Amino acid sequence: MDTGEAIADHVGVPTVVLFPTCLGDVVARQTVTDAELVLVRLGFDVRQARGATCCGQPAFNSGHDGPARAVARATLRALDDGTDDPILVPSGSCASMVRLHWREVFHKTDDADGALRIAKRVRELSSFLAEQSATIASLQPQLTARVGYHDSCHMLRELRIKEAPRDVLRAINGIELIELPSAERCCGFGGTFSGRYPEVSVAMADSKIQDMVDARIDLLVSADPGCLLQLGGRMSREGSPVRTLHLASVLAEALA
Amino acid sequence: MSVREDIGGSPLPDGWAAPAHQPGAFELPTTTFEERAHRTMARPFARRAIAGATDHAVSLTQARFADVDHETLRDQGRQIRAHAIANLPDYLEQWIANAEQNGTTVYFAADEGEARRIIAGICVDENIASVVKSKSMASEEVALNSALEGVGVDVVETDLGEFVVQAMGDRPGHVIAPILHRTKDEVHELFSKMAGRDLPNEAEELTAFARAGLRHAFLTADGGITGGNFLIAETGEVMLVTNEGNGRLTSSVPRVHIALVGIEKVIPRRRDLAVLLPLLTGHGTGQQITTYVSITGGPRRDAEPDGPEQTHVVLLDAGRSALLGGEFEEALHCIRCGACQNVCPVYRQVGGHAYGWVYGGPIGAVLTPLFRGQAEGGEVAQATTLCGACDDICPVRIPLHDLLLGLRRQRDEQGEVPRREQMAFAVWGAVWSRPWLYRMTTAVGRGSLGLLARDGVVSSRVPGLRRWTDGRNLVLERRRR
Amino acid sequence: MTDRATFLAAVRSTPRGDDPGQPDRLHAPDAPTELRDGEDRFDRLLHECALNSTVVHRVPEDSVAATILAILDEADAQSVALTEDLGARRQALTDACAAAGRDAAAYADVAPNRARAGALDATITGCAAAVAATGSIITSAAGAGRAGALIAPTHICVVDRDQVVTGLHELFDGSVLADVGSLLALQSGPSRSADIEKVLILGVHGPGNVHLVLVDG
Ligand code: SF4
Repeated sequence: MDTGEAIADHVGVPTVVLFPTCLGDVVARQTVTDAELVLVRLGFDVRQARGATCCGQPAFNSGHDGPARAVARATLRALDDGTDDPILVPSGSCASMVRLHWREVFHKTDDADGALRIAKRVRELSSFLAEQSATIASLQPQLTARVGYHDSCHMLRELRIKEAPRDVLRAINGIELIELPSAERCCGFGGTFSGRYPEVSVAMADSKIQDMVDARIDLLVSADPGCLLQLGGRMSREGSPVRTLHLASVLAEALA
Repeated sequence: MSVREDIGGSPLPDGWAAPAHQPGAFELPTTTFEERAHRTMARPFARRAIAGATDHAVSLTQARFADVDHETLRDQGRQIRAHAIANLPDYLEQWIANAEQNGTTVYFAADEGEARRIIAGICVDENIASVVKSKSMASEEVALNSALEGVGVDVVETDLGEFVVQAMGDRPGHVIAPILHRTKDEVHELFSKMAGRDLPNEAEELTAFARAGLRHAFLTADGGITGGNFLIAETGEVMLVTNEGNGRLTSSVPRVHIALVGIEKVIPRRRDLAVLLPLLTGHGTGQQITTYVSITGGPRRDAEPDGPEQTHVVLLDAGRSALLGGEFEEALHCIRCGACQNVCPVYRQVGGHAYGWVYGGPIGAVLTPLFRGQAEGGEVAQATTLCGACDDICPVRIPLHDLLLGLRRQRDEQGEVPRREQMAFAVWGAVWSRPWLYRMTTAVGRGSLGLLARDGVVSSRVPGLRRWTDGRNLVLERRRR
Repeated sequence: MTDRATFLAAVRSTPRGDDPGQPDRLHAPDAPTELRDGEDRFDRLLHECALNSTVVHRVPEDSVAATILAILDEADAQSVALTEDLGARRQALTDACAAAGRDAAAYADVAPNRARAGALDATITGCAAAVAATGSIITSAAGAGRAGALIAPTHICVVDRDQVVTGLHELFDGSVLADVGSLLALQSGPSRSADIEKVLILGVHGPGNVHLVLVDG
């Protein structure tokens, strides 16, 4: 699979576009704010993607290509602003949708070329941040915590991004990174799956939460608001003391 | 099962009599995935056992291939299967010609009913009153046992796990490990009932009890029925793997051997096994090779000391040929190793029964709609999170994730999506494709969640969000302190 | 009933998918079922047999009979059948068993009576080959019968040094297997099951006791 993550020809470009995604617009506002804050601290000029809505994934993954295309088209046209600026997405699965599946969504439509252009510009946030590790380290980020990282399925198995978010965490002083045995196992979110099959979905979360308890972590980090909504939501219901944070927020706290 | 005369060397265990059994009926389409899943999830042992066993199997598989070039091996496996399926008509004809040359009678079952009629017919024609069976998913597909009992044939499953499944009137819970979901205590209770006395509750003793009774069945059965893992075109042979040895005994000891095999099982050459066999066993049980690999080519030849007088192979189509050349052809590459089930985080919670038909896990979620149709089987293709773990482990690189997506699309195209869902997505598409409406709805959404939230957490059962908030809070991210 | 022509027509009528061709078979695959570079086949055979619970006895020709008698003693095996693939050794071994008070017969004479075959305590067979990388014994219907290697609780297999092949690739690819008849059989250790709560049990339907007598020197 061509994940295209290697085509990192935007490094050093001072302007970046931040695409919040629908989760970022509804439940993960803080993640977006923090991502912007971090990028500014790293010396980037950050533009919010005006008019972008959702990547279309909920419908696409449910087999409803029509609505998926309609929604994705609005986002595509908003993102296709004639520049070459990297578009950063603080969500592994949305980044994967745009980079890999938009080709399919817009296949043989007027937007096919646009979809390719955007796919090339879109970067999953943590993989972009990992390239700034040296700058990050020079800012002396500090946060004391025993941290577990949860891999987003699409980020890991479609975009093949595994080490980047861990590298960012390692750049923060005071973080002890614990490898959870089930780090790579799905959290049970699966978009609409979590609402279709709540009992199964919650049980999937529980099996991972048990691991976190066993590993005595006090902070769970991921780079996908969907996974965090799921795992954080379950832990909150169960009264778990483990905090959940997006990588961007961890970094924002550490740089504060 | 009626017990015939006791014979030398194989005394029946005291009180041996298998209870009458009714094979559990397929549940599609009368129940939903959610209902079926709930039944397994309500049994803590089953859940723990399934999670433990599948995790263990995955770690064995990973360890098995840790120090070889696994990726190249998978490439070769994929290529062999893809080549065989792309040329299926030719290889199938070659296999048939060679099998007939070997003295095997070949039958053609276009559908499940036909497979049942053919095999029942062979039993009637050849005066077969009792058969021993070795685990076969194809025979599960066609619900063979009840058909045979219908014509008065006694059927005994000989795989230890399948024997328990049969005696309990259950269904196998896993392709490779049929009683994964059952406890030793349950087996002990069953066997003790069969024996009419309290047997020692140890796996070894329980196995010995079953062995003695099944040994008797092997030595007295008129017929043996097996499936087949591969059909080898160049030799007309049927390959079968087992660990217990029941497959070999079933195909060798009774007077008549009948194999029911899906047409997609054809491979070109014996030497393809050098690739496919380690992939099958390594991904199935993590074994380097199963204990018994039997490659049978027809009835006993003149100079041979033992073996069946007749061999019959029933080739099963039942929805397979319709997949050739189409979007879902790769589903036919499957070698039924079960690895995708083992690695599946959903299967890990719900086990095999939740899928409602014969096959569970990702491959079950693909095959069920394909073989049973979208109207009946379409729902199970929704019951995955599309996490992609199955794609990463499949020994022949079947793109299960893409097939599942394709099936979801097909369900939509065929109008089998519930109206409510259809409407919801249509509305969603109309609203969120307009940025101003998107901004408005997300603002309203945020606002109402904010009103419902306490300390940034929505924990009440919110109408419309109930299926989410029953087990989880909706945590709204807040400004940092 | 669907006839052959109709059935095959359904298979033929569909368009064909992409054909990647036959894989390149110039090289043996790098698989768990092959030797590693430079590995000694006998070392590997012994290693794999230890893993799959096959007991290996590496003995010179003149100790074969005594070794087998000792195994029979230990297994307390009274009725014994010997198969065709023992070749020239069969008669001598039959005589040795008989002299030691065993009830020894040719498998071909026992097999037609299923009850008698089912009551055997041990079978002694030769083989078509043995596979080092998998610790497997390969038998054929022509040589050991279809059930000769697994009908009794104890199976003793006599393997000549030059019958040991490296891995599955050599086994299936080369000319090792001539006419095997109605069964080509691989067996790798005792019969086993872990169906009941994953507890491994040996000797489920086939033998629980497997011995490989490697005739070497
Ligand atoms: S789909 Fe692949 S992993 Fe799943 S059973 Fe078939 S071959 Fe094995």
